[in-house]
Amino acid sequence: MADPRAKEGAALTLDPPGTGGGTLFIEAIRQALHEEMERDARVLVIGEDVGAYGGAFRATEGLLARFGERRVLDTPISEEAVIGGAIGAALRGLRPVAELQFMDFAARAFDLIVNFAAKYRYRTGLGVPMVVRGPCGAGVHGGPFHSQTPEAWFAHVPGLKVVFPATARDARGLLKSAIRDEDPVLFLEHKFLYRRVRDRIPEGDGAVPIGTAALRREGRDLTIVTYGAMLWTALEAAGELARDGIEAEVLDLRTLRPLDEEAILVSVKRTARCLILHEDTRTMGIGAEVAALVAEKAFGQLDAPVVRVAAPDTPVPFSPPLEEAFLPNTRTLIAAARKLAAW
Amino acid sequence: MPTNVIMPQMGESIAEGTLTKWLKKPGESVKRDEPLFEISTDKVDAEIPAPVAGVLVQILVEEGKTVPINTVVAVLGEAGEPAGAGEPPPPAAPPKAPEEPPPARETIAPPPSPPPPSVSAPPQPGETVEELLRRRSSPVVRAIAEEHGIDISGIAGTGISGRVTKADILSAVGSGGPKAAPAPAPAPAVPPPPAAPAPLAVSSPAPVVIAPAPAAPIVTFSGSTVVVEPMSAMRRKIAERMVESKHTSAHVTSVFEIDFTNVARLRDRVKERFEAQYGTKLTYMPFIFRAAITALKARPLLNASISGDEIVYHREINLGIAVALDWGLIVPVIRRADDLSLVGLARAANDLANRARTKKLAPDEVAGGTFTITNHGGFGSLFATPVISQPQVGILGVGAIEKRPKVVTMSDGSDTIAVRTMAYVGVTFDHRLIDGAEGDTFMSIVKNTLENERWSELESL
Amino acid sequence: MTPLSPDRLVDLYRLMLLNRFLEERLVNLYRQGKIVGGLYRSLGQEATSVGTASALEEGDLLSPLIRNLGSVLARGATPRDVFAQYLGRATSPSRGKEAHLGFCLPDRGIYAGTAMLSTMIPVMAGMLLADGILGKRTVGMTYVGDGATSVGAFHEGINFAAVRRLPLVVVVEFNGWAYSTPFERQCAARTLADKGPGYGIPAETVDGNDVLEVHAAARRAIERARGGGGPTLLECRTYRMKGHAEHDAQSYVPKEELAEWRARDPISRFERELEAGGHLDPGRRRAIHDEISRRLDADLAEAEAAPMPDPAEALRDVYAEGT
Repeated sequence: MADPRAKEGAALTLDPPGTGGGTLFIEAIRQALHEEMERDARVLVIGEDVGAYGGAFRATEGLLARFGERRVLDTPISEEAVIGGAIGAALRGLRPVAELQFMDFAARAFDLIVNFAAKYRYRTGLGVPMVVRGPCGAGVHGGPFHSQTPEAWFAHVPGLKVVFPATARDARGLLKSAIRDEDPVLFLEHKFLYRRVRDRIPEGDGAVPIGTAALRREGRDLTIVTYGAMLWTALEAAGELARDGIEAEVLDLRTLRPLDEEAILVSVKRTARCLILHEDTRTMGIGAEVAALVAEKAFGQLDAPVVRVAAPDTPVPFSPPLEEAFLPNTRTLIAAARKLAAW
Repeated sequence: MPTNVIMPQMGESIAEGTLTKWLKKPGESVKRDEPLFEISTDKVDAEIPAPVAGVLVQILVEEGKTVPINTVVAVLGEAGEPAGAGEPPPPAAPPKAPEEPPPARETIAPPPSPPPPSVSAPPQPGETVEELLRRRSSPVVRAIAEEHGIDISGIAGTGISGRVTKADILSAVGSGGPKAAPAPAPAPAVPPPPAAPAPLAVSSPAPVVIAPAPAAPIVTFSGSTVVVEPMSAMRRKIAERMVESKHTSAHVTSVFEIDFTNVARLRDRVKERFEAQYGTKLTYMPFIFRAAITALKARPLLNASISGDEIVYHREINLGIAVALDWGLIVPVIRRADDLSLVGLARAANDLANRARTKKLAPDEVAGGTFTITNHGGFGSLFATPVISQPQVGILGVGAIEKRPKVVTMSDGSDTIAVRTMAYVGVTFDHRLIDGAEGDTFMSIVKNTLENERWSELESL
Repeated sequence: MTPLSPDRLVDLYRLMLLNRFLEERLVNLYRQGKIVGGLYRSLGQEATSVGTASALEEGDLLSPLIRNLGSVLARGATPRDVFAQYLGRATSPSRGKEAHLGFCLPDRGIYAGTAMLSTMIPVMAGMLLADGILGKRTVGMTYVGDGATSVGAFHEGINFAAVRRLPLVVVVEFNGWAYSTPFERQCAARTLADKGPGYGIPAETVDGNDVLEVHAAARRAIERARGGGGPTLLECRTYRMKGHAEHDAQSYVPKEELAEWRARDPISRFERELEAGGHLDPGRRRAIHDEISRRLDADLAEAEAAPMPDPAEALRDVYAEGT
């Protein structure tokens, strides 16, 4: 019952076994940036160390050389310059992709994201078509400020969209859609997946619509609603549960705001049991919203209470045994799923 | 067109202002934006300019008074215009939306939605969580059970605490599991959740405590031997109220036989002139109303209500008069019937009955009754035991008024049989409050009034 | 620098009067309860707003703060727009969803900020970056007060604009007060222009109540920006003659200071200069006053007659259409 997180260097993929090759998650992101900047001259990238350095995680590697410094902008250490700059550029008709070195630092530009960008169309009629992207998530010994998943902070705000892909193909496809979107999109990339997830990227545009979930595994006994790195934990657990005759359905949300309500409800109404899994801390997380939605709109079809599996309400600890205790894993998920199936 | 001048809000958290000085006197004219009065608030003192040009017609708030923001402090008009209401000030608080007039305490808890057989009300006292789970399982299981008419408690459950799971009940459906009485097939006529009854205007200190009626089991029918139609809203309401009343009051009926001969003779003599003069028919009912009113004044307990452990005596006598409709039953109320003359009672009753039949009653005309009279004899019924209209404690039932042979004792002591106009009139009362003797005393006053009253009001006719 | 023509001089005068008279109408409306929320005056500061904004050219960008009514008027916003905003009408540029100067007129280069001070500095920097990429020679102007120089966005924004040599003019309107906080409790620097060298940019201090001095300084900064010389910090020294807002009695302000600055009122001063220069006589002055009053009457009547927004508007424009 190995945890996918324990497999350093191994590739997680949805491709059939033996397919081989494929594009890594971080490469898929870089590919999307190249393709979009090629396709649309209005697209530019702005952030710290994104130009010459190619980005702290190499997401923007090669862009400066290919598109020049008018479209690949390095800023001082100032989240307000990065985000403010992106907002201003968006207001003047460009399509900026702002990189934050860690999404934890979005808190430094919280005002500009939540008060300026999110509300501008409502107040003035002018939209802010910018993307704010960056690495998030734990499992890499990053400690409290380099490991958070801040989707709940922003998914609560009217006017923002929040996207959280789990596969390389979706990273490419959703980033393209985010760049093309007329409204501000937070694009969260789980750093654990950067070099551990790969997909065969097919030819073609490959844009994935924002607001659509993906059914990753069909099952009749319970629905696991999840997103981000936890998708892989869910799939691993589902395989294990199947050996005991429990068939878990796994729904990858992909977008957190707007939620794909229909996909959630269709699945839960079929299985009658809903378990929400996320890495973010439990209280007031995305799981709370999904649980309320299911209780409100699928109550009559439920055969058991809605349960959540999430991290405890603490900052992300540093020392490996502590971080391991913090993160939901296959073992804790299987236990919760078994209990739900038996309810 | 007069204009209201208001106390402005100078600052977001300010809720009131003090009017410190009027800069104009009533009768003086003022230009638009010219300073009209001064105010003082927690944060600032300010001169307030006039919103329009005009004459200061009326000052409504004196110097030194503190009022909430948006209060009208004065009225500006054109010279010579009388003071009246101007355009209303901008709405500050959201308007209240009264439900049914007048808002009073909820008197009766509506019964819970009737559930499938064997899965009745919410947790019973003393029931453990496990028992609850076994009995009520989960929403989807209950829904499946109801749909197939299956008794959950008859299935062995594999869920926690022996709960029946969805898989369990689906498998039971497949093998034809334990059915609920009486009929197997679906298509139940499930009544929708009942509407709350119109509360009586009882200004009681404590809410009326009435035990909720236990839910009735649903009996289902199907097949070609029946025609199923849904109940109308009125029918549902009547059904609910009748049962509630029976569960609330201790109904006792006491019947007297009343000799209407004098009333009948009087009526025959004057009814045409009455109608010509007053424009409304004179039936027996105004006489009966008057007799009931006299009796209620003498025995006010019949005009009361029960509130918890308290007796509430109503100062007004608001007589409900039951009106049979083609589509049901309604009880409009003659308010303060004791203030009305016979003519007034006749008019009020006829008008309410007509409007009841033409569906033109206002909601407050069917509320607030303190005692009810029902003329069940109109269709030939001699005796009846009507249902008390909550939260009243009595209802007078009038049987058919007809000629009967009666033994009459002559002045010389001999008995003879005479033809008299008679009716059985009964009072159905709530024995929680009214004892038999009280009810009978009441009835004897009714009887005495109808048999012996001179009805001097009609003497002029 | 070429001097201004007589017509241009009278234009500046007219704009300052329009600024003041329009605000007086707003004060009346507020005290009559017809405007809700708050009202923030720029009494005594008209020369700073009008003088700076008037120096911009067609296509340039402006982002006002709450006390810069004169600047948007100088760039072509109408009193009708302003009245409709304050009265919360459906016809206001923000359709009733925002108050006072919280609106955009992109055709005139006017972009609203938020209530969070100084955030327009980094955002304006982004706008100018974009215009540069698009090959335009746009100059941007935004305002901060003495208090706003304390917030993080001031520092981060100016630093970014400075290092990128963006064509930005930051007008620091020094009126002595941030609500009830006097400058000596706000900042340890001697003047706000002193901050310029810290960012590597030029800074200048001018008499904010002398519209011509302000205008000339603004032109210098704008030309420097357009020529590739980067941002300028333009400190205009003026005085806040009313409280922080209409509901603030400013009892904390020494009466002598108010009296001193009343004597330096920018409009009276400029009137005297125009008269001395033969550009204004009592007749012309009265005509201008009347013309402005009539215009305000008409625009206010139009705004008052406009409908309030439909409640359904409250749910619109959170996202782009159809999303």
